[in-house]
Order: sequence, then structure tokens, then C-alpha cells
Amino acid sequence: MKLMVKGRPAEVIHPEEPLVWVLRDELGLIGTRYGCGIGVCGCCTVLADGEPVRSCQVSAAEMAGRQLTTLEGLTPPEGSDDELHPVQQAFLENPLQCGWCLPGHVLTAAALVEREPDPTAEQVEESAGRNLCRCGGYNSIRKNVLRAAEIARDRR
Amino acid sequence: MSLEPAGLESAADSAAPKPRAKRRTTRRRVLIGAASGTGLLVVGAAIALNLRRPRLAQVIQERGTGEQTSPAPQVWFELTGNAITLFVPKVEMGQGVHTAYAQIALEELALAPDQLAVRQANTARGFDGGTLFTFGSSSVSAMFTPLRTAAATVQQMLTREAAAQLGVPQDQLVAADGRFTVSGTDRSRAFTEVVAAKSGPWEAPAEPPELKPSSAFTRIGRDLTRVDMRDKLTGTAVYGYDARVDGMRYGAVARPPRFGATLRAGRGPSTADVVTVIDVQAGFAGVVAATRTKARAALAALEVEWEGGTTAGSAEVDAMLTADRGAVLRREGNLPRAMSAPGAVLVEASYRTPLAAHGHLEPMAALVAVTPDAPGAAPGSGRIEAWVPTQAPDTVVSALRELLGEEREIVLHPTLLGGSFGRKGSQDTAIDAARLSAAAGVPVHVGWTREEDLQHGIYRPPTHTRLRGTVDPDGRLRGVEQHSASGDIIWSVTSLPEPVRDILGFDPGTLLGQFLPYRLDAYRVVNQREQLPIPSGPWRGLGLLPNTFALESFVDELAAAAGRDPLELRLANLPDTDDGRRLANVLRRAADVAGWGTPLAAGRGRGVACSLDLGTAVAQVVEVSVEQGRAKVHRVVAAVDPGLVVHPAGAALQAQGSIVMGLSSTLLEKLTMRDGAVVESNFDTYPILTMADTPPIEVVFVASDGIPRGMGEPVIGPVAAAVANAVFTATGERLRDLPLRPSNP
Repeated sequence: MKLMVKGRPAEVIHPEEPLVWVLRDELGLIGTRYGCGIGVCGCCTVLADGEPVRSCQVSAAEMAGRQLTTLEGLTPPEGSDDELHPVQQAFLENPLQCGWCLPGHVLTAAALVEREPDPTAEQVEESAGRNLCRCGGYNSIRKNVLRAAEIARDRR
Repeated sequence: MSLEPAGLESAADSAAPKPRAKRRTTRRRVLIGAASGTGLLVVGAAIALNLRRPRLAQVIQERGTGEQTSPAPQVWFELTGNAITLFVPKVEMGQGVHTAYAQIALEELALAPDQLAVRQANTARGFDGGTLFTFGSSSVSAMFTPLRTAAATVQQMLTREAAAQLGVPQDQLVAADGRFTVSGTDRSRAFTEVVAAKSGPWEAPAEPPELKPSSAFTRIGRDLTRVDMRDKLTGTAVYGYDARVDGMRYGAVARPPRFGATLRAGRGPSTADVVTVIDVQAGFAGVVAATRTKARAALAALEVEWEGGTTAGSAEVDAMLTADRGAVLRREGNLPRAMSAPGAVLVEASYRTPLAAHGHLEPMAALVAVTPDAPGAAPGSGRIEAWVPTQAPDTVVSALRELLGEEREIVLHPTLLGGSFGRKGSQDTAIDAARLSAAAGVPVHVGWTREEDLQHGIYRPPTHTRLRGTVDPDGRLRGVEQHSASGDIIWSVTSLPEPVRDILGFDPGTLLGQFLPYRLDAYRVVNQREQLPIPSGPWRGLGLLPNTFALESFVDELAAAAGRDPLELRLANLPDTDDGRRLANVLRRAADVAGWGTPLAAGRGRGVACSLDLGTAVAQVVEVSVEQGRAKVHRVVAAVDPGLVVHPAGAALQAQGSIVMGLSSTLLEKLTMRDGAVVESNFDTYPILTMADTPPIEVVFVASDGIPRGMGEPVIGPVAAAVANAVFTATGERLRDLPLRPSNP
């Protein structure tokens, strides 16, 4: 089968396997991280048609026909001069520590900011609060999601 | 088969290792690489293992990781005509050491931050493993001066050479942003151009370089963009679980159903798709397959039989851990007299902390490529290359040699670590991958499942502490008798013979946070080392959090018994010593920021606690309420005195992270043993702190002097006690076991 990742079709040899392993081990997209395998930690979050999906909870086959975005594919809007996506920029300015959870937080925030250009603190809690961070960067994440929305608004 | 890692940069890729014979050592132990016809300049400085844990240092020496000062170069700058590179001889696990080292180097090197490439050192470049060992919050404190010395030496050599090339005296050169400019002219030359144009060997300066006084710092103490973050944000950063190499396959390994169980028999087919490796003598059964999922399926189909091991449950483990005997660690004053001082109030209390996991979000992993022996070559001569997320590269190399042959050439690339907190100082995963790679003849990656990680850990051991103490009605502390007991921490990761450990009678890891910092007429501390049938070892701060929970809760109990304010009682009993003054200072600062003594909303209480670990004084004030049988933390204020703060933003993250991890231990974390195994298997049954339970955390740094001290662990010390003390204030209920489980209000 073929998966649509970064807007391009990628041939998959083991479509029956969990998406997280197909992305990482078959396609080499290591920016999708395994953390728990039961959909709790959120490290493996990718976007399917712009919505967060825990890639340990679906097979590659189930994602046929969906547009997948991993951390590697998160780019600034077409035609923009910016190097980084607003969420990446916010996390560069105010970083986390080990970064294993980072892709999940970044992609979850990207989806939120896309949907809610001016998210409330409650919306940030509801969205980002579903992902773990063992290094304890929760207060940074709260701040960064709001900052990312601000950067996105400024760039418009 | 190519062993070039896909997408994995390593120091060895950029330049061949330089033969050691060509280096020479000056009296100041600054090392200069020979130029041999190229402009290449390599400068390194040897460092002393300047450990602030004397007993740990002793143990590490005994383990044979090297002399106090290694003759091998330990931090390297490499300058070529194209780039200026700092190879960091410590591993990056999120603590920010690559950034802190860059910052220290940039203080003495006239470069813009983006002109200094920062890369992870590995064992192929002459870095001895002992230096790469990253532990004990010691990276910045140990390297602060050696690194600046090396950087200043580079700057001095470049300046001298640039002056010669430009034909002007050195004092007419202005160096900034990687470029020398002749004063008052537009003549200039980039550092890299100076290196490229150099002919003949570089020579070390005759005089030691002068280091900037702290008053002239322009980098240290200010912020710098983290050097690891861009790669982490774009998906190019490589952790141990991410390591890839051509031709690799995936391994899975059978785990015993009970701690201590041994393999009696194992059977499984080897097919075109699956290699089965069974070594009963080694207690090893594993498989290699084309994907992780196929490897796990093949593992599940293996027939393995285990025997022996412990059948202990949590209640039995707790019963084994009773603090009533052991080695006397401290005996001061006349205890019977202090305990029966007229008018003094006697308080007795007993505290427990549970078995707990590290919960690093990147599970254990390793990639090992054992090259099959060449035809006709001696058996066991094939080269080994390994990519391991490890705090202790040296012990991984030793373990691989022991397993596969002492004469092997081994290159170990420390990868990024997705958290560790002490867990990734072990060799277990690298050994798994090495056994499988050697047997299968291909590179093998072993990445643990979360279930394996949680159920086959090297845990924070449970502790039990019993305290008796007296306090005068005016709040003066008189005598304390302390019995503490803990499972092993350091002994589990050292190779000291058992009789030596027995004679010592306690585990050095339990010393952290073991002693009350207050003035006492008499103080007796007895520590019991308990060999539990559960693997236990280093966890962030070692004994610091469990010990401080007991001691700082008990001080609160003494304050309550005397009817004194717990902050005032602490301040009144701290000694007039450097440590005492620093603790008093952070206590006052935290109390001030938190508004100690000001009114709180109904149902809320404040608690305070402090600790001093690795030279860093920490005080915390927390605000708590109890809702539906759970302590809810509304606010944490931490005042931290680590001496000198090198990277404020990084230090603040370390403090925030320590507090969040400490809150997680305080409120949630406990592993249960049943039939010799851990019951909890994943983050659904072993929850760790989430955003919803994370309060606003304010961190205030108190910079007391010019010496940087530990930042990775000390801040975790007071968290549990501060919360328990706040629960007492809020509800009147004194909780003495972690995690805190308040009665329903």
C-alpha cells in the first residue's frame, strides 16, 4: 500500500503494523516517537488530515487515503519566508529538555492553532494536557502554545 | 554491509581519530594536537573528576574508571579552515549540558554563538569513557574551569598566529564574531582563515591563559538558544531508539516472570525470517526479525521455562525494610540527655517511600553492530560499533568487551537520551543487542516496550525512616535519633565485592539528604542497608527525595509540637555556617515570594521545606488543598542557590522539571510487587504527573558566589516534604507515606 506522508506517496511493506513503527522503522521518520504503545503518553502523535492521531493506536493500512503530517513535514505555510512553523518557533524560543515528547506536543499544538487561531487557556489545557512530559515542561508548553498562536497571527 | 548510520551524525564521521602519540601535554595539562602539515588546530584540557560526593568518587575510583586526572584529553576544540567545533565529553539527556558547555566556551572564545559547532564526543576520538560518564549533576561544576582554560588557550593561540599573519602586534588586534580586525583599519581575517593559512606546528603558549573575571562575563549567566533544540524540533535529532544503520534488524528478549528467576530451558525455531538465540547458561532467550512487531510475535511463540526467583509481594518487601539497626553514620553529643531534656517535648514518627520508576519517555534502547569475523581471522575479532543512549559509555564498552572479547575494537556513539534520571547508566539493553547481533551476524536494534521498561527497571528503592526527637517549647531543637533503611542505590551499579559492602554497611547513595542541617545538642544516625530481592539503583537525586521527605516532615512535626511557626523554627535552628546561612537565605527568599504568613483561601495550607545537596541550597513553599481524598497543589515557589548560574533558562528548566517529577512522586507514583513481579505495566496503571496536576511554579535563583554547583537533582529534595507539610496545615492530617493519600476531608 501507499501512505501519503509529507504530501507524497510512500510505499509501505508492512501495512498491517502499527503506524508508529511503519513511520519510524520503514520510512525512517524518527520524529514520530514511541512512548507507551497504549495511546496514553502522546509521544507518537501525528496529524491525519490535520487532526491529531496516536500512531501507536492505528495500523498503517487504516491511514490509507489520509494526508499524514509528521514532525519532519511540519513546515511554514506555502510561500512564507519563515524557516520554522509558528509552533516550532515558539518551542525554539522557550525549549523543553530531553525532547522525546516534543513531536507530540508540537503537532498537537499545530492542530489546535490551525483550528483555533486564538485559543483560550482552557483549550490549551484540554489539548496539550493529553500529552505527557516527564521532564516536567508543562508550564513551558502552556506558554508556548499560546505564543505559537500569537506568532501565527502575527505572520498573517 | 555499510555501517554508516543513516541520519546519524557522529564525531568520527568528520575526521579520523588522531593518533595519541602526536599529542603532547604541557604542565598545565592543556593538550595541543600536532598540525602535521595542515592548519588543523586541536586543543583539549584534561579535567579532574571534581566530584562533590566523596564517597561516590571513591566508589567510582574503585570501579576503575580512571585516575583523578586522566592523561587522555577530555574536552576538545577542533579548528579547521572550515569550522570551529567543540566536542562535548558529556551526554545530553535533556539537562542542557551541550548548551551550557557551548556557553562556557563562548565566554573565552570571540565567536558568535552560531559560529561554534557543538557535537557529541564519542569513544573513537580519544575520549575516555570515564569522562563521558554523566552523573551526579556534576558536568558543569567539574568542567567549568578546565573548559574555559581550553577555550582561552585556543583564543590565545589564534591571536598570536593572526598577529603574525597580519604582521601587527597582538595588541592591535580586535577579536569578535570569529574575526580578527586590525584596530583602526579594515584589514581583517576570520579565525578559520587563520587556521587555514597556518604553516608548521601550533605551539602552546608559554604562559597559562588568563581567564576573564566573572565581572567581565558576557555569556555566562545570560541565555543562549539551546544548541540541541532545532534538531529536536525538526525531527533530525537522533536518540537511542532512533539509531539506524543499513542492514539492521530488530530484536526482542524474553524477560523473567519474577525478579531473580533464571532460565531453565528455551526452544524456538530459526526460520528464514527469524533468528532465535537461546543461551541457557547466560539466562538469555531472544529473537531477531525484520520488524519490531514480527520480533515480538516470534518472542511470544518461544517456549521458555524459568525457575527460582523471588515471590515477594509489597507487604513482604516493606517488612524486610525496617529501620532499626545498621551502620552508625553520625554520633554527636549526649543523646540520652538531649532526649530527656527537662521541659522538652518528645516526638516520634516513622516515614515510608515506595518503590518507584524513572519513567523516562524514551524506553531503553540500543543498536549494536558486531561485525562477523573475517575469514581466517581470529575468532571474536570483528569490530563492534554501538549506538547507545547511556549515561555511562565506559561501562557499556567494558560490558561489551567482557561479553564478546577483550581484544575487540569498539566504537561507542552516545546518542541523545530521551530522559534518563539515572536509569540509563546500566548496560542491559546494549548487552541484549550485542548478543543478538553477534548471533545473527547483522546489526540489531533492541527497543524495549513500555511494559518491559516499567516491569524490568532498576528502581528507586523503597525506604523506611524512624525518627525520635526533642524540642524545647521555645522552638530550640535538642536531640534527634534517626534510623533509616533503604534498598541498594550505588551498590547495584558497582562491582565492589560483597564483603567490602558488608563492612561498610550502608549504601553511599543513601547519604544524599541523610543529615539534618540544624543545630542539635545530640544527633545519632543509623542506616540499614537492605538487600531487597528487587533491582534498585540510582534515581534522580539518589536518597535525596526520600530522606528529605522524612527529615523535613519531622522538623515540621517538631515545630507543631512546640507550637512554633515551621519557617521560624527552621531559621532559628540553622547554624551560623556557610551551609546554614545559604539555607536560611533561600528559606527567607522563598517565603518572601510566596507570601508566607499572608492569608490564604479557605481550605488551603502552605508548607515549607529545604535541603542542601551537591552544594546547592533549595527551599520551597507550596500551597495545597485537599479535594476528594487528593492533595491538590496550587502553587510552588522555589528559591535555589547553586552558587553561580551558567545558563539561567536551562537551570530554570532543571528546577521546574525536578519539581514536577517530585510532585509526581509525592502525589502519584508507587509500584506494587506481587508474586515477585511488578504489577503496574504502563502509564495507565502507573500514572505520572500530567499538565492538569501541574501548578504554576516560580523559581528564584539566589546567586551566592562564583562557583557553579549541581542543578539537575538538588531541587527535587524538598518537594514531598513541602507538600506533606502543607497538607498538615490545610487539614491537620500528618501524612507519612508516599505517595500522599489524604483521608477524605
